Amino acid sequence: MPDAIRITNLRKSFKLGFIPRRKEILKGISFTVSEGEIFGYLGPNGAGKTTTIKTVLGLIFPDAGTVEISGRSHLSPRAREELGFLPENPYFYDYLTAHEFLAFYADLFGLARKVRDGRIASLLKLVGLAPSAHLQLRKFSRGMLQRVGLAQALINDPRVVILDEPLGGMDPLGRKEIRDIIVRFKEEGKTVLFTSHILQDIELICDRVAMIVDGRIVSQGKLLDLVSERVLFTEVTVAGLEAEALAGLGECLSAQGGRVLLRVFSEENVERVLRAADERGGRVVSLIPRTETLEDIFVEKVRQT
Amino acid sequence: MKVGAIALNTFKEAKRDRILYLLFFFAAGAIIFARILAMLTVGDRLKIVKDVGLAAISIFGILMAILMGTGLVYKEIDKKTIYTLLAKPIHRAQFLLGKFLGLVLTLFIMTGLMGLIFLGIVFAHSLRFEGRLLIAVLFIFLELILITAVAILFSSFSTPILSSIFSLSFALIGHLSWGLETLIKKLPSPAARAAARGLYAILPDLENFNFRTEVVYGLPIPPAIYLHATAYGLVYTAFILGLAVLVFRRRDFI
Amino acid sequence: MRRGAAPILLVLYLFAAAAGTMALKVATDRIPRARVPGSSIIYLPSGKYLKVATFGYNLLAADLIYLWSIQYYSNYEIKDRFAYLERIFTIISELDPRYTDPYEVGALIAVAEAQDPELALKILDMGLAKNPEQWVFPFEAGHIAQMTLKDFERAQRYYEKCLAIPGAPVFVSRLRANAMFKRGDLQTAWQTWLEIYDTATDDEVRKVASNHLYQVKAAIDSGDLAEAVKAFQTRYDRLPASLEDLLRTGIRSALPKDLDGQDYVYDPATGAVKAPTIPWKR
Repeated sequence: MPDAIRITNLRKSFKLGFIPRRKEILKGISFTVSEGEIFGYLGPNGAGKTTTIKTVLGLIFPDAGTVEISGRSHLSPRAREELGFLPENPYFYDYLTAHEFLAFYADLFGLARKVRDGRIASLLKLVGLAPSAHLQLRKFSRGMLQRVGLAQALINDPRVVILDEPLGGMDPLGRKEIRDIIVRFKEEGKTVLFTSHILQDIELICDRVAMIVDGRIVSQGKLLDLVSERVLFTEVTVAGLEAEALAGLGECLSAQGGRVLLRVFSEENVERVLRAADERGGRVVSLIPRTETLEDIFVEKVRQT
Repeated sequence: MKVGAIALNTFKEAKRDRILYLLFFFAAGAIIFARILAMLTVGDRLKIVKDVGLAAISIFGILMAILMGTGLVYKEIDKKTIYTLLAKPIHRAQFLLGKFLGLVLTLFIMTGLMGLIFLGIVFAHSLRFEGRLLIAVLFIFLELILITAVAILFSSFSTPILSSIFSLSFALIGHLSWGLETLIKKLPSPAARAAARGLYAILPDLENFNFRTEVVYGLPIPPAIYLHATAYGLVYTAFILGLAVLVFRRRDFI
Repeated sequence: MRRGAAPILLVLYLFAAAAGTMALKVATDRIPRARVPGSSIIYLPSGKYLKVATFGYNLLAADLIYLWSIQYYSNYEIKDRFAYLERIFTIISELDPRYTDPYEVGALIAVAEAQDPELALKILDMGLAKNPEQWVFPFEAGHIAQMTLKDFERAQRYYEKCLAIPGAPVFVSRLRANAMFKRGDLQTAWQTWLEIYDTATDDEVRKVASNHLYQVKAAIDSGDLAEAVKAFQTRYDRLPASLEDLLRTGIRSALPKDLDGQDYVYDPATGAVKAPTIPWKR
């Protein structure tokens, strides 16, 4: 089974400014998205996430490199028929209703009317917009536009769904709904590639990730492989003791209201803190070990570049 | 039919544009004003009505074609509605063609309405239905088709203001090029004459669509010219659209 | 300031500003300023490239300039308004050569108001040159030549040009004959009137032709008799007592009679010869 998306050595420069100066955005991007997985594409602002996505969709033409969708050239019409795309900050024809808008796009795929209407109804239900089917898009809130954008990405029941910042601008409940929808795609056998800089969302649902910093892939692979289980430090809150009593065992983050919060960096020091509390009549309120998160890796990689 | 879907959508968008109705209102106003203006003349009043009416349809039609055409593609790019559209399995040429046809449909309806009002005013004046005037209106419409294609061409790579200026220049040059024909005879050197003749062949000759003199004065029109003028207009339009596709094909949408 | 006062004050302010503006406009209009009315049109370039400058709207431009010129020439306060008469109507002709009204009206203004009949003829000539099928231009030119310039030869030529155009009214031939008569070409006038008499289709025309024939014959005959009287005077150093004297002395072998067969009337005191009847009273 060919990879859903295979990107090889993508390069792209733009000439920006009044006196055109060449700015290299993509400096040789390569990664693959396997069939049926949820792939997270992350990086800081301006790293080249959106440029990569737009190249895959044929909106931007690369200077070098190839993109294949299920083994076919990304520009072939067959490849496009299997794709669904939701851009960042989507904006659609505001004078159309949700139904008219989806019907227009359905017509571009040549869907028969009956199939079309049925699919529109089920998609609107899926994204939670069924009551707004005949409301003009100009009256939609940002979150609603995002949802209808998701619906239009699915109008052709694509095998590969590409989403650029799908969770941006949504409230926490909305974000959960979208995450659940994405997971459902995976269960239906679809492949999902999405970009985000909300790292918790990526951690929650992605199978594999790639990290792009300053036009280069600095890290890619299974999420589980990248994020180790190693404990970085432990945050211990102790009540009934003075901060000085625990000095030297860890970093004192705060000492207020009779409670001391310590960041302790080694297992032995944690033991010592516990013993100190026990000996001097203090009480351990909480003990929270912190493992390495994606954010830690991310910040580290960005700092390295 | 994908092009048809885009054309219909463009039509829906165009008919919401307030500029269209503003220009239509002014055109209708001008045609009605023609009747009042005609009262100032000593002599043939109907001629004034016909001249002002046809000029109004022409001027406002061109303004409609330019003002709407230059925004057509630019708006899609600027508002980013084009991203999801081009991600679908359509050729960029189909997109441009759909936009073009949608605007042509809008202009057809507008020109038709203006033409009807014009015929109505002429009828009110002379109590005669002068069907021949429709020939002039039809060829004004053909001119509008060509100008729309030019507006779309510029709209695919330039801002609306610049596109409007370029398109207007095209229209103006199109009405000047017959002057070039007279100039050719006066040039001293054969090389200059050959160059001028070449230029004359390339530059648009929009006077080919100007039948106002014949229609107002009841002069005969040789039937061959109908076919030739129409073919010229359509082929030039196809050429311009081809240029637009060429420009648009490999454009990056940052 | 109370909250309710603000909108009222704003309205008052607007009224005051509007009233002030209108009053100032009236006052400014009263101040006399040196104006060259219609100057912009006067400085339009003329020549065949003017048409190019109208970008295909030459018919409209011609109409607008013509309408403007009607207003301009109706404004009697502009003292030197005829200075550009030729130029303006030439411009209109260049923009729309087929527009007939300006040629006619321009010629009318030239002859009736500017007292320049030559310019009127020039305008009408221009009209005919651009519209050879319009008989009205030489028709009106003939009139002007005859009535204002009293140049009967020119008038005759204009009437001939008019007759050469299909659709010209039939009575123009009578105008032509009359011009010939006025010119003094009596023989041709006689022939022409005879032709009209012979080809007349109704009695009215025949009567008119007959009256003219009477008039021409009277002119020919009285001219002849006047010459005979002069010959008598040269020979005998006095006027003849009657026309019979001319017979007796052998200066004439016979006395002509008018078209109705009547004798001509001779006044021995002055030597003048007259027709017995006024042609129109026959």
